[in-house]
Amino acid sequence: MKLSFYPGCSLEGMAVDYARSIDAIFKALDIDLVEIDDWSCCGATAAHSLSEAMSVILPARNLSAAEQMGLDIVAPCANCFNRLRFSQQMVQKKVLDIPWPVTGDLKVHDMTRFLAEPAMIKQIKKRVLKPLNGLKLVCYYGCQMVRPPRITGYTDYENPQTLDRIAAAVGARVIDWSYKATCCGASIGIGRREIGNSLTKRLLDKARQAGAEAVVVSCPLCQSNLDMIQKDRLEQPVPVFYFTELIRLSFSDRGNPKWFKMHFADPVPLLSKINAI
Amino acid sequence: MNTTVMDHKTASERRSGKKRKRIGDRGDYFLNRIQGETNGNVSACYQCERCTNACPVSHFMDIKPHQVIRYVQLGWREDLLRSSTIWVCLSCEMCTTYCPNEVRVAEIINHLRNIAAHSSIAPREKHLAVFHQTFLEVLSKSGRVNEFRLMKAFYSKPNILNEKIKSGNLKEELLLGLALLKKGRLKPFSSRSKLIKEIRKAYIQARGEIV
Repeated sequence: MKLSFYPGCSLEGMAVDYARSIDAIFKALDIDLVEIDDWSCCGATAAHSLSEAMSVILPARNLSAAEQMGLDIVAPCANCFNRLRFSQQMVQKKVLDIPWPVTGDLKVHDMTRFLAEPAMIKQIKKRVLKPLNGLKLVCYYGCQMVRPPRITGYTDYENPQTLDRIAAAVGARVIDWSYKATCCGASIGIGRREIGNSLTKRLLDKARQAGAEAVVVSCPLCQSNLDMIQKDRLEQPVPVFYFTELIRLSFSDRGNPKWFKMHFADPVPLLSKINAI
Repeated sequence: MNTTVMDHKTASERRSGKKRKRIGDRGDYFLNRIQGETNGNVSACYQCERCTNACPVSHFMDIKPHQVIRYVQLGWREDLLRSSTIWVCLSCEMCTTYCPNEVRVAEIINHLRNIAAHSSIAPREKHLAVFHQTFLEVLSKSGRVNEFRLMKAFYSKPNILNEKIKSGNLKEELLLGLALLKKGRLKPFSSRSKLIKEIRKAYIQARGEIV
Protein backbone atom coordinates (compact mmCIF):
# COMPACT_ATOMS: atom_id res chain seq x y z
CA MET A 1 0.00 0.00 0.00
CA LYS A 2 1.20 3.50 -0.81
CA LEU A 3 0.02 6.74 0.80
CA SER A 4 1.15 10.32 0.73
CA PHE A 5 2.27 11.62 4.10
CA TYR A 6 1.70 15.14 5.39
CA PRO A 7 3.99 15.41 8.45
CA GLY A 8 3.26 19.00 9.48
CA CYS A 9 5.63 21.45 11.13
CA SER A 10 5.58 19.90 14.62
CA LEU A 11 7.03 16.64 13.40
CA GLU A 12 10.21 18.46 12.42
CA GLY A 13 10.56 20.18 15.78
CA MET A 14 8.69 19.46 18.99
CA ALA A 15 7.58 16.00 17.92
CA VAL A 16 10.61 14.44 16.23
CA ASP A 17 10.07 11.34 18.37
CA TYR A 18 6.55 11.00 16.92
CA ALA A 19 8.00 11.15 13.39
CA ARG A 20 10.62 8.47 14.20
CA SER A 21 8.08 6.08 15.67
CA ILE A 22 5.78 6.58 12.68
CA ASP A 23 8.64 5.71 10.32
CA ALA A 24 9.43 2.58 12.28
CA ILE A 25 5.90 1.19 12.51
CA PHE A 26 4.91 1.90 8.92
CA LYS A 27 8.04 0.13 7.75
CA ALA A 28 7.06 -2.83 9.92
CA LEU A 29 3.51 -2.74 8.52
CA ASP A 30 4.81 -2.66 4.90
CA ILE A 31 3.03 0.59 4.07
CA ASP A 32 4.90 3.05 1.93
CA LEU A 33 4.60 6.63 3.18
CA VAL A 34 5.69 9.18 0.57
CA GLU A 35 6.20 12.65 1.97
CA ILE A 36 4.14 15.24 0.08
CA ASP A 37 6.39 17.05 -2.35
CA ASP A 38 7.61 20.29 -0.77
CA TRP A 39 4.76 20.48 1.74
CA SER A 40 4.00 23.72 3.53
CA CYS A 41 2.33 24.64 6.82
CA CYS A 42 -1.46 24.22 7.11
CA GLY A 43 -1.80 27.55 8.94
CA ALA A 44 -3.06 25.95 12.15
CA THR A 45 -5.16 28.13 14.47
CA ALA A 46 -3.52 31.42 13.52
CA ALA A 47 -4.63 31.32 9.89
CA HIS A 48 -8.33 30.80 10.57
CA SER A 49 -8.25 33.25 13.47
CA LEU A 50 -6.95 36.16 11.44
CA SER A 51 -7.81 35.33 7.85
CA GLU A 52 -10.39 32.72 6.92
CA ALA A 53 -9.25 32.82 3.28
CA MET A 54 -5.70 31.78 4.21
CA SER A 55 -7.02 28.86 6.26
CA VAL A 56 -8.47 27.41 3.03
CA ILE A 57 -5.67 28.41 0.65
CA LEU A 58 -2.72 27.13 2.72
CA PRO A 59 -3.89 23.49 3.12
CA ALA A 60 -5.13 23.52 -0.49
CA ARG A 61 -1.48 23.84 -1.58
CA ASN A 62 -0.76 20.49 0.02
CA LEU A 63 -3.94 18.90 -1.32
CA SER A 64 -2.88 20.03 -4.77
CA ALA A 65 0.61 18.54 -4.40
CA ALA A 66 -0.85 15.25 -3.16
CA GLU A 67 -3.31 15.16 -6.07
CA GLN A 68 -0.42 15.41 -8.48
CA MET A 69 1.11 12.40 -6.75
CA GLY A 70 -2.28 10.67 -6.91
CA LEU A 71 -2.05 9.24 -3.40
CA ASP A 72 -4.51 9.53 -0.49
CA ILE A 73 -3.21 11.64 2.36
CA VAL A 74 -2.53 10.49 5.89
CA ALA A 75 -1.84 13.16 8.53
CA PRO A 76 -0.53 12.35 12.00
CA CYS A 77 -1.24 15.77 13.54
CA ALA A 78 -4.83 16.39 14.63
CA ASN A 79 -4.87 20.04 13.68
CA CYS A 80 -3.30 19.44 10.26
CA PHE A 81 -5.90 16.76 9.60
CA ASN A 82 -8.71 19.09 10.64
CA ARG A 83 -7.47 21.97 8.49
CA LEU A 84 -6.88 19.71 5.46
CA ARG A 85 -10.40 18.30 5.74
CA PHE A 86 -11.88 21.77 6.19
CA SER A 87 -10.00 23.11 3.20
CA GLN A 88 -11.06 20.10 1.13
CA GLN A 89 -14.74 20.78 1.89
CA MET A 90 -14.40 24.45 0.99
CA VAL A 91 -12.56 23.56 -2.23
CA GLN A 92 -15.37 21.17 -3.19
CA LYS A 93 -17.93 23.90 -2.52
CA LYS A 94 -15.87 26.26 -4.69
CA VAL A 95 -16.29 29.25 -2.37
CA LEU A 96 -12.79 30.65 -2.86
CA ASP A 97 -10.35 31.07 -5.70
CA ILE A 98 -7.40 28.82 -5.04
CA PRO A 99 -4.13 29.74 -6.78
CA TRP A 100 -3.27 26.06 -7.23
CA PRO A 101 -4.95 23.39 -9.35
CA VAL A 102 -6.99 21.37 -6.86
CA THR A 103 -10.21 19.35 -6.99
CA GLY A 104 -10.47 17.99 -3.45
CA ASP A 105 -11.14 14.43 -4.58
CA LEU A 106 -8.50 12.68 -2.49
CA LYS A 107 -9.23 11.00 0.80
CA VAL A 108 -7.70 12.65 3.87
CA HIS A 109 -7.14 10.16 6.70
CA ASP A 110 -6.11 10.90 10.21
CA MET A 111 -3.49 8.43 11.28
CA THR A 112 -5.33 7.05 14.31
CA ARG A 113 -8.50 6.18 12.44
CA PHE A 114 -6.47 4.74 9.58
CA LEU A 115 -4.64 2.39 11.95
CA ALA A 116 -7.82 1.59 13.92
CA GLU A 117 -9.63 0.06 10.91
CA PRO A 118 -10.38 -3.61 11.63
CA ALA A 119 -8.02 -4.76 8.85
CA MET A 120 -5.15 -2.66 10.19
CA ILE A 121 -5.79 -3.76 13.78
CA LYS A 122 -5.43 -7.35 12.53
CA GLN A 123 -2.11 -6.46 10.90
CA ILE A 124 -0.90 -4.78 14.10
CA LYS A 125 -1.92 -7.73 16.26
CA LYS A 126 -0.06 -10.07 13.91
CA ARG A 127 3.20 -8.16 14.44
CA VAL A 128 3.05 -7.70 18.19
CA LEU A 129 6.09 -9.45 19.65
CA LYS A 130 5.72 -8.34 23.21
CA PRO A 131 2.28 -7.21 24.40
CA LEU A 132 2.36 -4.35 26.89
CA ASN A 133 0.54 -6.31 29.58
CA GLY A 134 -0.02 -4.47 32.83
CA LEU A 135 0.24 -0.96 31.42
CA LYS A 136 -2.76 1.01 32.68
CA LEU A 137 -3.51 4.02 30.53
CA VAL A 138 -6.15 6.49 29.41
CA CYS A 139 -6.55 7.66 25.81
CA TYR A 140 -6.74 11.38 25.16
CA TYR A 141 -8.02 12.60 21.80
CA GLY A 142 -8.19 16.37 22.21
CA CYS A 143 -10.46 18.55 20.13
CA GLN A 144 -9.28 18.90 16.58
CA MET A 145 -9.28 15.24 15.67
CA VAL A 146 -12.93 14.63 16.62
CA ARG A 147 -14.66 18.01 16.42
CA PRO A 148 -16.56 19.43 14.63
CA PRO A 149 -18.05 16.11 13.46
CA ARG A 150 -19.28 17.54 10.15
CA ILE A 151 -15.62 18.10 9.21
CA THR A 152 -13.81 15.21 10.87
CA GLY A 153 -16.50 12.62 10.15
CA TYR A 154 -16.36 11.11 13.64
CA THR A 155 -19.77 9.77 14.68
CA ASP A 156 -18.67 8.85 18.21
CA TYR A 157 -17.25 12.28 18.98
CA GLU A 158 -18.43 12.16 22.60
CA ASN A 159 -16.67 8.91 23.34
CA PRO A 160 -14.20 8.22 20.51
CA GLN A 161 -12.73 4.71 20.37
CA THR A 162 -9.92 4.69 17.79
CA LEU A 163 -6.97 5.10 20.19
CA ASP A 164 -8.66 2.76 22.67
CA ARG A 165 -8.81 0.01 20.03
CA ILE A 166 -5.16 0.47 19.07
CA ALA A 167 -3.95 0.54 22.69
CA ALA A 168 -5.96 -2.59 23.45
CA ALA A 169 -4.52 -4.31 20.37
CA VAL A 170 -0.97 -3.88 21.69
CA GLY A 171 -1.99 -5.39 25.01
CA ALA A 172 -2.37 -2.37 27.29
CA ARG A 173 -5.22 -2.02 29.77
CA VAL A 174 -7.36 0.93 28.66
CA ILE A 175 -9.27 2.79 31.35
CA ASP A 176 -12.44 4.74 30.55
CA TRP A 177 -12.55 8.39 31.60
CA SER A 178 -14.65 11.48 30.97
CA TYR A 179 -12.00 13.82 29.61
CA LYS A 180 -11.19 12.10 26.31
CA ALA A 181 -12.04 15.08 24.15
CA THR A 182 -11.70 18.04 26.51
CA CYS A 183 -9.42 20.75 25.17
CA CYS A 184 -5.83 20.95 26.50
CA GLY A 185 -5.57 24.68 25.74
CA ALA A 186 -3.50 24.39 22.54
CA SER A 187 -1.17 27.38 22.15
CA ILE A 188 -3.03 29.64 24.61
CA GLY A 189 -0.35 28.98 27.25
CA ILE A 190 2.13 31.11 25.30
CA GLY A 191 0.03 34.24 25.67
CA ARG A 192 -1.94 33.43 28.83
CA ARG A 193 0.00 30.91 30.90
CA GLU A 194 -2.57 30.58 33.69
CA ILE A 195 -5.35 29.51 31.32
CA GLY A 196 -3.21 26.86 29.65
CA ASN A 197 -1.92 25.50 32.95
CA SER A 198 -5.38 25.26 34.52
CA LEU A 199 -6.60 23.14 31.60
CA THR A 200 -3.63 20.77 31.41
CA LYS A 201 -3.42 20.34 35.19
CA ARG A 202 -7.06 19.31 35.34
CA LEU A 203 -6.53 16.73 32.60
CA LEU A 204 -3.57 15.16 34.40
CA ASP A 205 -5.42 15.14 37.74
CA LYS A 206 -8.40 13.41 36.17
CA ALA A 207 -6.12 10.86 34.51
CA ARG A 208 -4.50 10.07 37.88
CA GLN A 209 -7.91 9.84 39.55
CA ALA A 210 -9.06 7.36 36.91
CA GLY A 211 -6.12 5.17 37.95
CA ALA A 212 -4.00 5.63 34.85
CA GLU A 213 -0.21 5.39 34.90
CA ALA A 214 0.17 6.96 31.46
CA VAL A 215 -1.72 8.94 28.83
CA VAL A 216 -1.84 8.08 25.13
CA VAL A 217 -2.26 10.88 22.61
CA SER A 218 -2.05 11.39 18.87
CA CYS A 219 -1.66 15.18 18.68
CA PRO A 220 1.82 16.76 18.97
CA LEU A 221 0.47 19.85 20.73
CA CYS A 222 -1.50 17.83 23.28
CA GLN A 223 1.64 15.81 23.98
CA SER A 224 3.78 18.91 24.48
CA ASN A 225 1.23 20.58 26.73
CA LEU A 226 0.64 17.54 28.93
CA ASP A 227 4.34 16.67 29.04
CA MET A 228 5.92 20.12 29.50
CA ILE A 229 3.82 20.90 32.56
CA GLN A 230 5.52 17.93 34.27
CA LYS A 231 8.99 19.40 33.78
CA ASP A 232 9.61 20.02 37.48
CA ARG A 233 8.26 16.64 38.62
CA LEU A 234 6.32 17.86 41.63
CA GLU A 235 3.83 15.03 41.60
CA GLN A 236 3.95 11.45 40.50
CA PRO A 237 4.85 11.63 36.78
CA VAL A 238 2.29 10.52 34.19
CA PRO A 239 4.22 9.78 30.98
CA VAL A 240 2.49 10.97 27.81
CA PHE A 241 2.99 8.58 24.89
CA TYR A 242 2.25 8.97 21.24
CA PHE A 243 0.19 5.96 20.23
CA THR A 244 2.81 5.08 17.62
CA GLU A 245 5.45 4.85 20.34
CA LEU A 246 3.39 2.16 22.05
CA ILE A 247 2.96 0.24 18.80
CA ARG A 248 6.69 0.47 18.14
CA LEU A 249 7.41 -0.79 21.66
CA SER A 250 5.14 -3.79 21.24
CA PHE A 251 6.65 -4.60 17.83
CA SER A 252 10.12 -5.07 19.30
CA ASP A 253 11.28 -7.71 21.70
CA ARG A 254 12.84 -5.17 23.97
CA GLY A 255 12.41 -1.40 23.71
CA ASN A 256 15.24 1.08 23.61
CA PRO A 257 15.27 3.75 26.39
CA LYS A 258 16.72 6.17 23.81
CA TRP A 259 13.32 6.32 22.07
CA PHE A 260 11.91 8.19 25.05
CA LYS A 261 14.73 10.62 25.82
CA MET A 262 12.68 13.60 24.58
CA HIS A 263 9.97 13.08 27.21
CA PHE A 264 9.92 15.27 30.32
CA ALA A 265 7.87 12.78 32.32
CA ASP A 266 10.30 9.88 32.08
CA PRO A 267 8.48 6.69 31.02
CA VAL A 268 11.49 4.39 31.49
CA PRO A 269 10.78 3.37 35.14
CA LEU A 270 7.18 2.56 34.26
CA LEU A 271 8.18 0.57 31.18
CA SER A 272 10.91 -1.37 32.96
CA LYS A 273 8.36 -2.28 35.64
CA ILE A 274 6.33 -4.14 32.99
CA ASN A 275 9.56 -5.48 31.39
CA ALA A 276 9.06 -3.65 28.12
CA ILE A 277 12.49 -2.02 28.30
CA MET B 1 -43.90 68.85 46.21
CA ASN B 2 -42.53 67.16 43.21
CA THR B 3 -45.12 65.06 41.44
CA THR B 4 -43.44 64.53 38.09
CA VAL B 5 -44.10 61.02 36.87
CA MET B 6 -41.04 59.44 35.32
CA ASP B 7 -41.61 57.58 32.10
CA HIS B 8 -40.44 53.97 31.91
CA LYS B 9 -37.29 54.78 29.99
CA THR B 10 -35.86 57.32 32.41
CA ALA B 11 -36.83 55.15 35.35
CA SER B 12 -34.80 52.22 34.14
CA GLU B 13 -31.86 54.46 33.26
CA ARG B 14 -31.87 55.85 36.81
CA ARG B 15 -32.03 52.38 38.33
CA SER B 16 -29.01 51.04 36.49
CA GLY B 17 -27.10 54.25 37.03
CA LYS B 18 -26.02 54.45 33.41
CA LYS B 19 -27.54 55.10 30.09
CA ARG B 20 -29.50 52.10 28.93
CA LYS B 21 -28.20 50.29 25.92
CA ARG B 22 -30.67 49.68 23.16
CA ILE B 23 -30.69 48.03 19.79
CA GLY B 24 -28.87 50.37 17.44
CA ASP B 25 -30.54 52.12 14.55
CA ARG B 26 -28.62 49.80 12.26
CA GLY B 27 -31.51 47.41 12.68
CA ASP B 28 -30.69 43.86 11.66
CA TYR B 29 -27.65 44.84 9.61
CA PHE B 30 -25.05 43.16 11.83
CA LEU B 31 -27.18 40.07 12.43
CA ASN B 32 -27.77 39.63 8.71
CA ARG B 33 -24.13 40.18 7.91
CA ILE B 34 -22.90 37.55 10.38
CA GLN B 35 -25.65 35.14 9.34
CA GLY B 36 -24.73 35.55 5.70
CA GLU B 37 -21.00 35.23 6.16
CA THR B 38 -20.93 32.29 8.59
CA ASN B 39 -24.23 30.55 7.82
CA GLY B 40 -24.31 30.18 11.60
CA ASN B 41 -28.06 29.89 12.33
CA VAL B 42 -27.83 32.90 14.67
CA SER B 43 -31.56 33.47 15.05
CA ALA B 44 -32.22 29.92 16.20
CA CYS B 45 -30.54 30.51 19.58
CA TYR B 46 -32.91 30.26 22.55
CA GLN B 47 -30.30 30.96 25.22
CA CYS B 48 -30.16 27.50 26.79
CA GLU B 49 -26.48 28.18 27.72
CA ARG B 50 -25.34 24.75 26.68
CA CYS B 51 -22.44 26.32 24.77
CA THR B 52 -21.27 28.23 27.83
CA ASN B 53 -21.51 25.15 30.00
CA ALA B 54 -19.51 23.09 27.51
CA CYS B 55 -16.84 25.76 27.01
CA PRO B 56 -13.57 24.91 28.84
CA VAL B 57 -12.52 28.57 29.11
CA SER B 58 -15.85 30.37 29.66
CA HIS B 59 -14.78 31.59 33.10
CA PHE B 60 -11.94 33.56 31.50
CA MET B 61 -14.34 35.33 29.12
CA ASP B 62 -16.10 38.63 29.75
CA ILE B 63 -18.96 37.92 27.31
CA LYS B 64 -19.98 34.26 27.59
CA PRO B 65 -20.59 32.26 24.40
CA HIS B 66 -24.40 32.31 24.71
CA GLN B 67 -24.24 36.05 25.29
CA VAL B 68 -22.13 36.45 22.15
CA ILE B 69 -25.01 35.08 20.11
CA ARG B 70 -27.46 37.43 21.83
CA TYR B 71 -25.14 40.38 21.22
CA VAL B 72 -25.00 39.49 17.53
CA GLN B 73 -28.80 39.37 17.42
CA LEU B 74 -28.93 42.82 19.05
CA GLY B 75 -26.27 44.24 16.76
CA TRP B 76 -23.88 45.19 19.57
CA ARG B 77 -20.87 44.97 17.32
CA GLU B 78 -18.34 47.13 19.16
CA ASP B 79 -18.85 45.35 22.48
CA LEU B 80 -18.07 42.06 20.78
CA LEU B 81 -14.95 43.34 19.04
CA ARG B 82 -13.67 44.82 22.31
CA SER B 83 -14.32 41.64 24.33
CA SER B 84 -11.69 39.23 25.58
CA THR B 85 -13.97 36.37 24.49
CA ILE B 86 -13.00 36.43 20.83
CA TRP B 87 -9.31 36.04 21.69
CA VAL B 88 -9.63 33.59 24.59
CA CYS B 89 -11.75 31.18 22.50
CA LEU B 90 -9.71 28.06 21.71
CA SER B 91 -11.74 26.99 18.66
CA CYS B 92 -12.20 23.62 20.36
CA GLU B 93 -15.71 23.47 18.85
CA MET B 94 -17.40 22.19 22.00
CA CYS B 95 -20.10 24.90 21.72
CA THR B 96 -20.92 24.19 18.07
CA THR B 97 -20.94 20.44 18.61
CA TYR B 98 -23.31 20.52 21.58
CA CYS B 99 -25.69 23.25 20.43
CA PRO B 100 -29.21 21.74 20.18
CA ASN B 101 -30.18 24.26 17.48
CA GLU B 102 -27.06 23.88 15.36
CA VAL B 103 -25.93 27.44 15.97
CA ARG B 104 -22.30 27.55 14.88
CA VAL B 105 -21.04 29.37 17.94
CA ALA B 106 -17.33 28.70 17.39
CA GLU B 107 -17.48 29.74 13.74
CA ILE B 108 -19.29 32.95 14.70
CA ILE B 109 -16.70 33.78 17.36
CA ASN B 110 -13.94 32.98 14.86
CA HIS B 111 -15.54 35.28 12.31
CA LEU B 112 -15.76 38.07 14.89
CA ARG B 113 -12.04 37.54 15.58
CA ASN B 114 -11.41 37.97 11.84
CA ILE B 115 -13.40 41.21 11.82
CA ALA B 116 -11.57 42.47 14.92
CA ALA B 117 -8.19 41.66 13.36
CA HIS B 118 -9.05 43.90 10.41
CA SER B 119 -10.45 46.76 12.50
CA SER B 120 -8.85 49.66 14.37
CA ILE B 121 -10.04 48.34 17.72
CA ALA B 122 -7.09 47.24 19.88
CA PRO B 123 -7.46 43.58 20.89
CA ARG B 124 -8.35 43.07 24.55
CA GLU B 125 -5.97 40.10 24.81
CA LYS B 126 -2.94 41.60 23.15
CA HIS B 127 -0.56 38.67 23.69
CA LEU B 128 -2.90 36.15 22.13
CA ALA B 129 -3.59 38.35 19.12
CA VAL B 130 0.09 39.16 18.61
CA PHE B 131 0.95 35.46 18.81
CA HIS B 132 -1.44 34.63 15.94
CA GLN B 133 0.00 37.49 13.92
CA THR B 134 3.58 36.32 14.57
CA PHE B 135 2.67 32.79 13.51
CA LEU B 136 1.45 34.02 10.13
CA GLU B 137 4.52 36.18 9.66
CA VAL B 138 6.90 33.30 10.34
CA LEU B 139 4.80 31.14 8.03
CA SER B 140 4.99 33.63 5.19
CA LYS B 141 8.76 33.87 5.61
CA SER B 142 9.67 30.20 5.42
CA GLY B 143 6.51 28.33 4.41
CA ARG B 144 6.82 26.14 7.48
CA VAL B 145 6.70 27.13 11.12
CA ASN B 146 9.67 26.31 13.28
CA GLU B 147 8.88 26.64 16.99
CA PHE B 148 12.24 28.19 17.84
CA ARG B 149 11.90 30.87 15.20
CA LEU B 150 8.29 31.44 16.19
CA MET B 151 9.14 32.05 19.84
CA LYS B 152 12.08 34.28 18.92
CA ALA B 153 9.85 36.39 16.67
CA PHE B 154 7.13 36.51 19.33
CA TYR B 155 9.46 37.79 22.05
CA SER B 156 10.96 40.42 19.77
CA LYS B 157 7.54 41.96 19.15
CA PRO B 158 7.18 45.38 20.83
CA ASN B 159 6.38 45.26 24.55
CA ILE B 160 5.97 41.49 24.76
CA LEU B 161 9.30 40.99 26.54
CA ASN B 162 8.68 43.93 28.91
CA GLU B 163 5.26 42.65 29.86
CA LYS B 164 6.59 39.15 30.42
CA ILE B 165 9.25 40.54 32.77
CA LYS B 166 6.61 42.58 34.61
CA SER B 167 4.34 39.59 35.11
CA GLY B 168 7.31 37.56 36.39
CA ASN B 169 6.85 34.74 33.88
CA LEU B 170 10.01 35.31 31.91
CA LYS B 171 12.41 33.25 33.99
CA GLU B 172 10.13 30.25 33.99
CA GLU B 173 9.63 30.47 30.23
CA LEU B 174 13.34 30.81 29.51
CA LEU B 175 14.06 27.76 31.66
CA LEU B 176 11.42 25.81 29.76
CA GLY B 177 12.96 26.94 26.47
CA LEU B 178 16.41 25.82 27.60
CA ALA B 179 15.08 22.46 28.74
CA LEU B 180 13.39 22.00 25.34
CA LEU B 181 16.62 22.87 23.54
CA LYS B 182 18.52 20.38 25.68
CA LYS B 183 15.99 17.66 24.92
CA GLY B 184 16.35 18.43 21.21
CA ARG B 185 12.73 19.42 20.82
CA LEU B 186 13.44 23.02 19.77
CA LYS B 187 15.56 23.25 16.66
CA PRO B 188 17.31 26.55 15.87
CA PHE B 189 17.61 25.62 12.20
CA SER B 190 15.01 24.02 10.03
CA SER B 191 13.97 23.25 6.50
CA ARG B 192 12.02 25.66 4.33
CA SER B 193 9.40 25.01 1.74
CA LYS B 194 10.68 25.82 -1.72
CA LEU B 195 7.33 27.22 -2.73
CA ILE B 196 7.69 30.19 -0.43
CA LYS B 197 7.22 32.73 -3.24
CA GLU B 198 3.81 31.36 -4.16
CA ILE B 199 2.76 31.22 -0.52
CA ARG B 200 3.84 34.79 0.09
CA LYS B 201 1.91 35.90 -2.99
CA ALA B 202 -1.25 34.15 -1.77
CA TYR B 203 -0.81 35.76 1.65
CA ILE B 204 -0.54 39.25 0.16
CA GLN B 205 -3.56 38.61 -2.08
CA ALA B 206 -5.61 37.37 0.88
CA ARG B 207 -4.92 40.69 2.58
CA GLY B 208 -6.61 42.41 -0.34
CA GLU B 209 -3.57 43.68 -2.20
CA ILE B 210 -3.16 43.32 -5.95
CA VAL B 211 -0.08 41.35 -6.97
